[in-house]
Amino acid sequence: MTTILEVQNICKQYNGKKILENVSISIAANQIIALVGNNGSGKSTLLKIMAALLKPDSGFIVKHRQALKIGYVPEVTPSHILFTPQEYLYHMGCIRGMNKKQILQKIEDLLELFQLIDARNTRIVHFSKGMKQKVMIMQAMLEETDLLILDEPLSGLDAKAQNDFEQILTKVRDKGLSIILTCHETKLLENLVDSVLLIQQNKVIQAKELSNNPVHKLIFEISSLPSLNEIFPFIEIQHKRLLSSGQYEIVSIVQEKDSDQILLKLLQKNASIKYLATINHNKEQFSSHF
Amino acid sequence: MTSLLRYQFINYFRTYHYVPPFTIFILCLVVNYTFVPNPILDSYSFTSLLLFFLMGWFTVTLFHAEDEGQKIITTLHTRSPVHYNLGILIICGLIAFSLSCVSIIYPILIDAFFERPKGLHILLGFLSHFSLSLLSIALTALFTRELVKNRQNTWWGVLCILIISVVIATIKNNILQINGLIWLLPPVHLSLEMMSIDDQIKGIPNIFFWQFAWIFIYTSFIVLLFFFLANRKRK
Repeated sequence: MTTILEVQNICKQYNGKKILENVSISIAANQIIALVGNNGSGKSTLLKIMAALLKPDSGFIVKHRQALKIGYVPEVTPSHILFTPQEYLYHMGCIRGMNKKQILQKIEDLLELFQLIDARNTRIVHFSKGMKQKVMIMQAMLEETDLLILDEPLSGLDAKAQNDFEQILTKVRDKGLSIILTCHETKLLENLVDSVLLIQQNKVIQAKELSNNPVHKLIFEISSLPSLNEIFPFIEIQHKRLLSSGQYEIVSIVQEKDSDQILLKLLQKNASIKYLATINHNKEQFSSHF
Repeated sequence: MTSLLRYQFINYFRTYHYVPPFTIFILCLVVNYTFVPNPILDSYSFTSLLLFFLMGWFTVTLFHAEDEGQKIITTLHTRSPVHYNLGILIICGLIAFSLSCVSIIYPILIDAFFERPKGLHILLGFLSHFSLSLLSIALTALFTRELVKNRQNTWWGVLCILIISVVIATIKNNILQINGLIWLLPPVHLSLEMMSIDDQIKGIPNIFFWQFAWIFIYTSFIVLLFFFLANRKRK
C-alpha cells in the first residue's frame, strides 16, 4: 500500500508533562485507522499535530504526496452554527479560497453523498447531533481531501446515528480517502477499521493490521503443553490456564484453512475439544483494545 | 480576507450579541442630547468614554461569537490563526469607526450644541472617539478566550482594565511620581485632558496630534502583544 503521510519521532509535552514520546506511524492510502487509548493518552494531541493545529516539540510530519490535502473534524461538534449547510459550506469554501463555481458544485455533491439535500435550507443549529457531525465531515471534504482526521466522531451519537455514520465512512473510503479516527468507548467501527493503533504510556505501542481472513475460535483441554510444539506455529493462543484436573485449558484462534489439520493433530494427542466456532477476528482484535 | 470578514460579520449579526451594547449606546446618545444646548467637546468626551466601555463589550462578544469547535474549523480554513484574529479585530475596528461617526454626526443633525461645530471640533471629536474605541478593542482582546481560559475572568478582566484606564486620569499626579510608569498605562487620560479644552479654540495645538498619535501607537503595541501571547499560547 502507498504511504501518504508519515509521523516521525513526534514528542510533545504540556506543562512539563510528557504526552507523546517518539511516536512514529505511517498512514497508507485508502485505509481507515483507529487510534485508541485511555482518556488523556494523547490521541487528540497526535491528531492535532497531524492536522498542523499544534506544533510538536520535536519530530516531523512527512507528506508523501505533493500538496496532500488534510481535512480535520474536531472532537467538540459545534452546537450553535447559525447558517444552513448550504451557507455554511459556501462560507468555509470561500474562506479556503475556492472559487464560487467549484464550491457550489462540491456542495451539491456533498449534500447528496451525505443525504442532506432536504435539510439544505435548515439552520444547522436545529440539526440533531448526527446531522451536525455529517456537516462537520462535509466541511472537511470541501476540497479534494486525501486524509480525513476525525477526533472522537462517534461520541454522543445514538446507535442509529452511529450506524449511519459507519455507512458514511464506508462511502468516504470508497471515494479513495484515508481516514484516521480516535474512538474511546465504542465497538461499532469494528467492521470498518483496517488497522488499530494503541497509545499507551505516551507511545504508540501497537500497530496491527486487522486481517479479514476467516478464523475459528478453538477451546481445548490437553494434559501436556510440550505436545503442542508441532502445532504452535499455526495457532494463536489467547489464554491458557491449569485446571484442577491437571489438564490445561487453551483458548486459541486458528485460521479456517488450518482448522481440520489442527483438530486432527489435537485428537491424535488425546486433547479434548470443548468449543469450535467461526468468529470475526477483525471484531475480536478491535474489541480487545477497549 | 474579505470572505473571512463577511463570514465573521454575518455570524456576529445572527448571534444578536450586539443588541445589548448597541441599545445602550443608542439610549445613552439619545438621553445625553435630550436637553439642548450642550457644550461640544465635553459632550464628545462623554460619548467617547461611553464608546470606550461599550467597545469592550462588542469586542468580547465578537471574539466569542463562534463555538470553540467552530473556531478551530474556521482557523483551519483560514490557514492562519493570525488571519483569523486579524479578521475579528478588523470587524471591531469597523464597528468602532461606524459608531464614532454616529456619535459625531447625531448631535450635529439634531442641532444639540450651543453653536454649529467647526471642522476642528469634528476632527477632535472623531479622533477622541476612534482612538479610545481602538484602545478599548486592543485592551479587551487581551482578556478574550484566545488568551484567557475562563469566561468569567474575561468579563472581570475587561471591566477592571477599562475602569483602571479611566481611574488613571484622576490619580495621574500620584502616578507621575513614579518615573516612566505613566507611559506603561493606557493613555485614556490624554484624550480626556484634550477634550476638556474650551469650545472656543481657534486651532488644534500640535501637542494634541502627538498625544492622539501616542494613543494609536500604544494601541498598536497592545495588539502586537496580543498576537505574541496568542502565538506563544498555541505552542
